[in-house]
Amino acid sequence: MALQESIDFVVGGEKRLTDVLSEAEVMPLLKSAAQAGLELAAVIDTADIPLWTFGPGCGVPGAFPPRKAHIETRPIYLAGEQVGKVCLAGGIATAAEVLKILAQVVGDAVNSMVQTNLKRMMVTEIHTQVVQLSYDELLETNRRLTESEQKYRELAQNLEIRVQERTSELKQVYTRMLQQEKMASVGQLAAGMAHEINNPLSFILSNLKSLEKYVDRFVELVNFYEEQTGGSGNDKLRSAATEKRRSLKIDFIMDDLGELFTQTVGGAERVKKIVADLRGFSHVDSAGEVQLDINQEIERTLSVLSSEIPADAKIIKKLGDLPGLSCKVPLLCQAFLNIIRNAFQARPRGLHLLIRTGQDDGGRIRLVFEDNGPGIPQDVQRRIFEPFFTTRDVGGGMGMGLTVAYDVVTSCGGTIDVQSMEGHGAVFVITLPVGGRNR
Amino acid sequence: MIEYDQDEKKMVLKLVYYGPALSGKTTNLLRLHDLLDQDGRGGLMVLDTSNERTIYFDLLPFFLKAPSGLKIKVKVFTVPGQVKHDAMRKAVLQRADGVAFIADSQVRENLNNATSFENLERNLALVGMDVEKTPLVIQYNKRDLSGVSAESEIRGVWASTGIPVFMASALEGRGVVETFRCLAEATYRSLDARYALEAGHGLSAASFVSQLVRCEHNSGLQESS
Repeated sequence: MALQESIDFVVGGEKRLTDVLSEAEVMPLLKSAAQAGLELAAVIDTADIPLWTFGPGCGVPGAFPPRKAHIETRPIYLAGEQVGKVCLAGGIATAAEVLKILAQVVGDAVNSMVQTNLKRMMVTEIHTQVVQLSYDELLETNRRLTESEQKYRELAQNLEIRVQERTSELKQVYTRMLQQEKMASVGQLAAGMAHEINNPLSFILSNLKSLEKYVDRFVELVNFYEEQTGGSGNDKLRSAATEKRRSLKIDFIMDDLGELFTQTVGGAERVKKIVADLRGFSHVDSAGEVQLDINQEIERTLSVLSSEIPADAKIIKKLGDLPGLSCKVPLLCQAFLNIIRNAFQARPRGLHLLIRTGQDDGGRIRLVFEDNGPGIPQDVQRRIFEPFFTTRDVGGGMGMGLTVAYDVVTSCGGTIDVQSMEGHGAVFVITLPVGGRNR
Repeated sequence: MIEYDQDEKKMVLKLVYYGPALSGKTTNLLRLHDLLDQDGRGGLMVLDTSNERTIYFDLLPFFLKAPSGLKIKVKVFTVPGQVKHDAMRKAVLQRADGVAFIADSQVRENLNNATSFENLERNLALVGMDVEKTPLVIQYNKRDLSGVSAESEIRGVWASTGIPVFMASALEGRGVVETFRCLAEATYRSLDARYALEAGHGLSAASFVSQLVRCEHNSGLQESS
């Protein structure tokens, strides 16, 4: 701890006699002594140089101490070391005994004064130094306290902000989870319904085929009867049969039967395909890691969306050869669906949607969805993946579609980006690592 | 070192008696004052006390001379041992040339001894002194009392540090001079290395120590003059 230069003294530092004694203290003593008729009363240092003098002989030039006079000296000690003398020079009438006694008295008085003053000075010095040390320590403590207070203050302020940030993060995560849960249960519902539909559908289909065979037999029987009646001579029966056939429009029915069956079976087959797509779309049958064919996922998504495709929309698919993608997340087609559906809603009339798949330089699967919709304004682009961000009117959408797409793609270890200029359509680019990423 | 004036051929040294409260630092100085010859030393100066407890410090000055004419003044200080006077201890410890650590031998004082020694180490560092290089001796005082730690135990504790340890009873005057003599020797070695006392001033270790530790005839200790 560096002390300030001005008070840098060390406890026990050396003192001179003049440091310890002052004229105001010494002179009255010398004066009193001189009043006893002395020639001179003085305090001199170790080199016999007078420090303080009083008496008639004081101003007399010449050697000091005055030689002819009778002189008594007493040593002055400062911390055990002789630092000077009390020197008394007797006058003509001064008795030797008196001079001795006077010298003793003045000497004792000066020594006692020196001793007392030295103690006082040392106490003052150490006190000053201790005060300075304590003050420096206080300053240091104060500095540290201020620093730590500042730190805690910042911490407290930041804490509030951090809590707010974390709270909103948690809220978002929670709503995302809720949404995913909902989607999963919707998928399960769809899959469950598909299963329920599949059962009656399969006996409808097989019964239809049986029915077709049975009807064929009826037709054969009818034809047989006609041949038999036509060959017999019973005109009455023949004309009655012809009349009945005409009134029952049997010829028309027979012509229509084939068409009817084809259409019915075709319809049932279509229901079967839709159900199969729905199951495939929800991937409810697959557990754990699955091998996905992205191109097939695109086809399946479009098939599920078929009812929503605007009538005059042109959807162009340029699907390149892709490696299989092993993925634990069966909801990739949900991401595709959300992006494609956004395009449908962005431009209900005259939509051109280009879907391209391929591999980029790094071997990653790259999907591009390019539409000719109104595009996305610059300031909106930053926010489109945020939960509940929507530009649609109330009831038009929750604002979760692209959030889900973002979640699904990133959880596969992929990226999703948008490039758009207002009025010039939007391009969504998804890249996926071929190896996928385990979640 | 308090002062070294090459022109005036004057060197003022500082030795400090450190230790826990009531371990007998002032008693050590009182005994030194009694046991050592009056020649070459001043009187013991005891600054104001509070209930006989040191609150500032005590001071015992010694004067010696090297053949080169260098005058050496050795000022021996005590510090107040009470914990609350730490700032005072720090102030006295500044620029010390050697330290005698006076411990209390009583078993119940072990913790206080340890705390005080830690305090010494910390304060030495705070006043910018190298703990490893500062001449240091340890005295276990109050051997005359009962309930004191065994000597073998004490020596076992300090053996690894290499610091000289003395058993003493300052009250009876035992071990006091030996401690001081050892401190003088250690201080001489440290000073000689830095100021060439022997080569530059012709002051040998024996001469330094014997001038500092002049025993009176009745002390029973060897004296070389």
